[in-house]
Amino acid sequence: MVEPIFDYQFRLILIGDSTVGKSSLLKYFTDGKFAELSDPTVGVDFFARLIEVKDGTRIKLQLWDTAGQERFRSITKSYYRNSVGALLVYDICNRASFEHIPLWMAEAKRHIEPHRPVFALVGCKLDLVSNGGHREVSKEEAKAFADQNGLYHVETSARKGTNVEEAFRSVTQEVYNRIQTGEYKVEDGWDGIKTGFTRPNGLDFNLVEAEPAKSSCC
Amino acid sequence: MDTSDSEHFESADEEFNSDTEDKNVKTKTISDTSETLKLKEMTISEESINVSNVKEVSTVNVVSNDNSCHDLKRKNVKPVVRNPTADKSDKRSKPGKLKLGVKLGTKITSTSCNAIKCDDVEDSKLKSNYDNKTSSSSKTNIDDNHKTCISALKDIKNEENLQKLDKREEIVLDEESNMWADDEWEPISSTDNKLTNKETNETNKTVQNNFSSGWGGWGNWDVTSLLSTATMGVTTITNHVSQGLTTVLESGIGVPDPEELARLNKMEGKSKESIEVDEEEEEKKEVDSKNNKSGVPDLTFGLGSFVSGVSQITKLVESTGNKVISSGLDTLETIGKKTMEVLQEGDPGLKKKRAFLKIDADKPVLSHILREAKEKAEQENRLAEEKHVSKKANYETLFDDHQGLAHLEALEMLSRQCDIKLKTLLESHSGADLIEMQETLSQIKELCELTDEDEDEKEELDESEIKEKIETAVTELNVSISYNKLMSTWKDISHWLENLDLNLYSAAQLHEESINILAQLTAVAVELFHKTGELLLIKEHRSTVDEADSLVQLTTTMTTLISDIAKKASNKLNEKATQSGSKDNVNQFITNVYFEATNSSSYIKNAFELLIPVLQVGAV
Repeated sequence: MVEPIFDYQFRLILIGDSTVGKSSLLKYFTDGKFAELSDPTVGVDFFARLIEVKDGTRIKLQLWDTAGQERFRSITKSYYRNSVGALLVYDICNRASFEHIPLWMAEAKRHIEPHRPVFALVGCKLDLVSNGGHREVSKEEAKAFADQNGLYHVETSARKGTNVEEAFRSVTQEVYNRIQTGEYKVEDGWDGIKTGFTRPNGLDFNLVEAEPAKSSCC
Repeated sequence: MDTSDSEHFESADEEFNSDTEDKNVKTKTISDTSETLKLKEMTISEESINVSNVKEVSTVNVVSNDNSCHDLKRKNVKPVVRNPTADKSDKRSKPGKLKLGVKLGTKITSTSCNAIKCDDVEDSKLKSNYDNKTSSSSKTNIDDNHKTCISALKDIKNEENLQKLDKREEIVLDEESNMWADDEWEPISSTDNKLTNKETNETNKTVQNNFSSGWGGWGNWDVTSLLSTATMGVTTITNHVSQGLTTVLESGIGVPDPEELARLNKMEGKSKESIEVDEEEEEKKEVDSKNNKSGVPDLTFGLGSFVSGVSQITKLVESTGNKVISSGLDTLETIGKKTMEVLQEGDPGLKKKRAFLKIDADKPVLSHILREAKEKAEQENRLAEEKHVSKKANYETLFDDHQGLAHLEALEMLSRQCDIKLKTLLESHSGADLIEMQETLSQIKELCELTDEDEDEKEELDESEIKEKIETAVTELNVSISYNKLMSTWKDISHWLENLDLNLYSAAQLHEESINILAQLTAVAVELFHKTGELLLIKEHRSTVDEADSLVQLTTTMTTLISDIAKKASNKLNEKATQSGSKDNVNQFITNVYFEATNSSSYIKNAFELLIPVLQVGAV
């Protein structure tokens, strides 16, 4: 039961209108299962999964599944701050949920400041479209919006598992890239990124940090 | 991720860059690797040439004293090349330095003439003064540095200069944002730029842009503070070292390693020199005009005039001056390092000190403590793993696995938010209103006092009784929440414990499972409290007394469940002990189970206490 080793922990938050499928997306991503019926999320729920980025670094994702319902809005916004990535989720078959995306994004930016999270635009319920459902948001339109705002865009289906992995993987990889370039770093008092204390090379992060002081003795 | 993906994100970067704040840039800069630092050193030198160009234009009328100019021309190439940072810097940057020397020779003529006004004798005085100060300060105890930290801060508050700094920063910032907007340059890909910036002027400019934004903060700060110190004469170097440290600590950007710091100090030293030398001239006007013309930050001016300043030193002064500079900078480096060492003593990474400066740590945050404990345990586990010893069951890790830690943390956020709301409310009230409100708040607190009663209740728990108790409490809460999860988890656990086949588990495994179920039940309890808090906050009509009552009921019920599970688990462990006969070992396990059960109860009580502000907010 003891947790596997990981190098970093990223905190990602899922936001978007209610019933667009945030919880289902997460359930598939963490459990590989799809629930036909699920209760609306109260406040916020938590999921976790370990993922490996391209160079083999192990990342533990702590996923904050916020309630989309309007009545929780005042509460959920207080959870934004410590996120390093945000998935903006809409329902492909629900025009309004897509039209609210700019609002969600502005809200997230405002509350995560001064940190700048990685955003991704995730369309849900792709299976409904191929199943004769009515698509209300075209792929091109969503893609155009994503390009305009510099977001990664993907259409997913939690029922079939289409692109679910990709959605999270791309955000994780991008956060990791930004760590590599020095844009993001682990900070005291901010929980967006944390280092796993079980580094495979046997070096404790604290020790690494303290080293220059010791070696610089003259 | 494929290339198109990264393109998306890159464009996002650009957008963000355009509205980057100065702070962000600073932070970024501090974290830069030493390689980029070296690159920047090079850039500084090259920038100084540009400044010399400007000078050439602005001081043509002075270029009459030809003889001395040519005389100096030859000598003045040296100091720059022998610049201590250059000597120590990466080999790759050396060709650049040499080129620089050659270039410098051609540019120097006019600038040296400009500087010739300055009195040589006075100059050497300044130098020796500087020398004395540095050598004495090198002997000074490092503890003195701490003291000078404070005095240095006072020294620096020369208001006039500060105002000027503000204006200049504004100008620089404006330019920056424009540059960032249509700039493809990414601050981190410095290695590429390193190569190109030697080749073309254009890229050189780009790097300068980066420089001005990244180091502008330091540069501006430097020059202003240096101007003030210069007018007061040569103040001690230690001031600057400690100022450097203070800024680092104050801005909370994390601590640069001593080497970086030493480098910064070297730069300070350099610009300081230049200002001392140029002191007598109408430098301020020049600063402004140059800045406007060249758009290069103040530090550049400092270095540019450093070149010109040094260039007018006579042969004799030059050789001693060089010694002074290099030894002075070495001393600076030493002081910087030493100070960092002392600061970091018993406080690696300055974590404690930073925390001390930043937050009022009047009460520790539970989730942080738990997380720390978890991290520590994980580390121990890893070590144990390496030694091929079986892993130990760790409560905190398991608690996190069941998402207990996350819920606790989120509950803390809610609680804190309510606290803030209450504080602002209290501040807005006065007189009788204030007293009334304070009374209401303390009444609620009293309602929430937990009594340590049924702790040693011995009889077997009645399931239906418990269920009824919970249900009544939840009804009183009047929010749409079900505590079924608590009941079902407890039932599952009890059921599992009762029907446990002792032959299938070793004592250690049984112990681990016991810890796990305790963590699981606690996590469920914390989760429910968290959800309750959220729902209470969005509830329309609050009935604080009822809510407090039922939450107290729920808390005691939860702790009863915990002790029930602990009892059952230890009974099983006892059975196992009599079965296998290894009593000592098992006793330790049993103690541990009870210990973690007590922990569980206190976590639940803590979670309940976090709900008190939520209740209070509903009452006022």
